Amino acid sequence: MLMEVKNQIKVMFLSLKYNIMKQMINKVTFITNIVFMILNNASFIVQWIILFSLKDNIGGYTISQVVLLWGIASSTFGISHILFNKSFELSDLIINGKLDTFLTQPKNVFLNVISSDTSISAIGDLIYGYICLFIYGINISNFILFTIFSITGAIILASFASILGSTCFWIVKGDIIADSLVNIMISFDTYPGTIFKSTVKIILYTVIPVGFANYLPIDTMLNFNIMNLIYIFAFTALIVLFAFFIFNKGLKRYSSSNLMSSRI
Amino acid sequence: MKKYLYIYKATLIENLSYIANILLGFINFFIMIFVFVNLWQYIYSDSSQIINGYTMEQMIWYVLTTEVLWYGSKNKVLLQEISNDIKTGNIAYNINKPYNYVFYILSKHLGEITIKLILYIIVGILIGLCFIGPIQNFNFINIPFVLLTLILGVLINSILRIIISTISFWIEDSTPFHWVYDKMILILGTLFPIEMFPDFLKPIIKCTPIFVVTYGPAKLLIDFSMQNFTQIIIAQLIYLIVSILIVAFLFSKGVKKLNVNGG
Repeated sequence: MLMEVKNQIKVMFLSLKYNIMKQMINKVTFITNIVFMILNNASFIVQWIILFSLKDNIGGYTISQVVLLWGIASSTFGISHILFNKSFELSDLIINGKLDTFLTQPKNVFLNVISSDTSISAIGDLIYGYICLFIYGINISNFILFTIFSITGAIILASFASILGSTCFWIVKGDIIADSLVNIMISFDTYPGTIFKSTVKIILYTVIPVGFANYLPIDTMLNFNIMNLIYIFAFTALIVLFAFFIFNKGLKRYSSSNLMSSRI
Repeated sequence: MKKYLYIYKATLIENLSYIANILLGFINFFIMIFVFVNLWQYIYSDSSQIINGYTMEQMIWYVLTTEVLWYGSKNKVLLQEISNDIKTGNIAYNINKPYNYVFYILSKHLGEITIKLILYIIVGILIGLCFIGPIQNFNFINIPFVLLTLILGVLINSILRIIISTISFWIEDSTPFHWVYDKMILILGTLFPIEMFPDFLKPIIKCTPIFVVTYGPAKLLIDFSMQNFTQIIIAQLIYLIVSILIVAFLFSKGVKKLNVNGG
């Protein structure tokens, strides 16, 4: 069992390596994608500088804490799109019957599918996340917690996207709903959760798990609490299991489009 | 001109079949409006407060208008089609057809967004009336002036997007440049009016596309004055002429650089 997991992780990282090598063929595009994504994210700082010039704290957050929130959101997004980019395009693979190539390979289908592509601009997101941590004030404990939460957040985001994408096994227009809900999660994660009213907060910790991916990690980084850490790990494990379950359940309903394709 | 009108009409009719898809796209719009309304309600701790000359209602109407413009005019034709045509070499066929490629793309884009923009305007007005109430001191006589600046704003935005896409002639992928433009409009142009910026930034922002694309129409809607209208319309005309000249120049230069391998 452990050997199988080790092999699967090895395949995942090999896939990542070849995805990046493939994209590096055009070096100018590769570098512009990363650099411009960092600039793109940095532009949000201007928005917050202006907002903080109107009010000293927003939802109990100071500007440096918002920068940290942005850092977590950015690196979460970055890791999920570097390692599991296809989880965000799962609906397309299912609707258009493009899963055949993966079904014939002797590895876990779900992991094989979601790790089969890498978004290069997401490397810029990941770098920007750590730049934000640096601006906030980096130290060893911060760095470790930030890295752990970026990984758990990325797993939660990718699992959430996979669950929604997998609904396309049952729902015809599932892709639009999936895209919209993933966008909602990404839209909420860069604003302090405290500006939203209580009913919305419940949604943000349940239907759209941005609470566990971003808000609770930020609270834990600001005021360390072991219970929060346990909640985050437990939720991450649960959502991963659910993503596997729903994909495997749906896969039994999959019908091929007889599309000839190969993984290059 | 007739052929471009035909392209516009054909694309518009084609898009009428996808109204359900446009409506599903409203989910994102609702969420962004919801986030911004919450944000501004938090900043305006007292609803009677006035920040830099804006009441909370005016501010939310401002955000609503700019978001309508943003979501209603966003389209893949300008973001991807030109780049893809250049990358795949398809442009070699298009530039040999009996139309101007830039005008063809512009007509197609306008045909794609017309229905979408109208729907977003209707939904935006309904959201505003239901959740914020009518705009203070709004006069129906101002509507033609606001509409004129809105149409010019959409047109300028489209031409600026084409300019960005022509970068693909030199660098294969122009998407990163679109991100930067997107963020400039989205962050600086939709969330705050120019009056919210620090004094030293105001003259700079007034020279950017934000002033003519989002700020102009939204400002006139919530606080109309003939002086503002004149200022905005002059800026829009200057932007329109200059951007047309730039796109013509870049396109003629880019086409000469084009190198397509058989097929």
